[in-house]
Amino acid sequence: MDVKINKVDNKFDVILTGRLDTTNADQFQKDIEILMEGENPDITLDCKDMEYTSSQGLRMFLMLQKSVNARGGKLVMKDMKPQVKEVFDITGFSNIIKII
Amino acid sequence: MEIRFDPIANKSGEIIEALMSSPDMPDDEGVLFKIRLCIEEAVENIVHYAYSHEDGWIIASTQRLGDKVVISLRDAGIPFDPLAVPDPDITLPAEARQIGGLGIFLCKQMMDSVRYEYTDGCNVFTMEKKFNND
Repeated sequence: MDVKINKVDNKFDVILTGRLDTTNADQFQKDIEILMEGENPDITLDCKDMEYTSSQGLRMFLMLQKSVNARGGKLVMKDMKPQVKEVFDITGFSNIIKII
Repeated sequence: MEIRFDPIANKSGEIIEALMSSPDMPDDEGVLFKIRLCIEEAVENIVHYAYSHEDGWIIASTQRLGDKVVISLRDAGIPFDPLAVPDPDITLPAEARQIGGLGIFLCKQMMDSVRYEYTDGCNVFTMEKKFNND
């Protein structure tokens, strides 16, 4: 999973590319550390090139959503591929994280 | 196809790729996505929990039966029925959701059949997926 973050003040535009799975979830957690800091973060995850996520990835997104909630911020995932969206739907994550 | 992996610590990726490259797998990308996901979840459970403090082995097999593929994972770890674990409550808000418990739930939802048995001192977890129903 390749992570590109563009930070302007408290606004983060993040492009996720590739697969998020058991082999790279730890690295992903390190890559998104900057998203876990600061007040009122406004985070958009561009998911159009995210090919796959397993429950390892869901854990990361849940952790991020909890962190954002605790800091009074916003988190949006956009342009998710249908098969990835299905993983979010089945697990109820579509109700936890705003997907547009 | 049947492959025995020993040791298995930190080998999840290798085990998943070996199974996904089996000639028994279908061509349909959408079905392969689901199969990969469920294999990852099942293999991860074994690699992380089956053998507690020591390393162990997995015998992984795939079999093509008509229009379905059967994937079976066998280990000699602690007897554990993953299907006996209650499903996570997927209606809870983020703060109340637990980290974990989602993997086997995804297998139940995405496969056509999942079953567990303890036989000859081994955990055997078997998943079946039809090709043409997606």
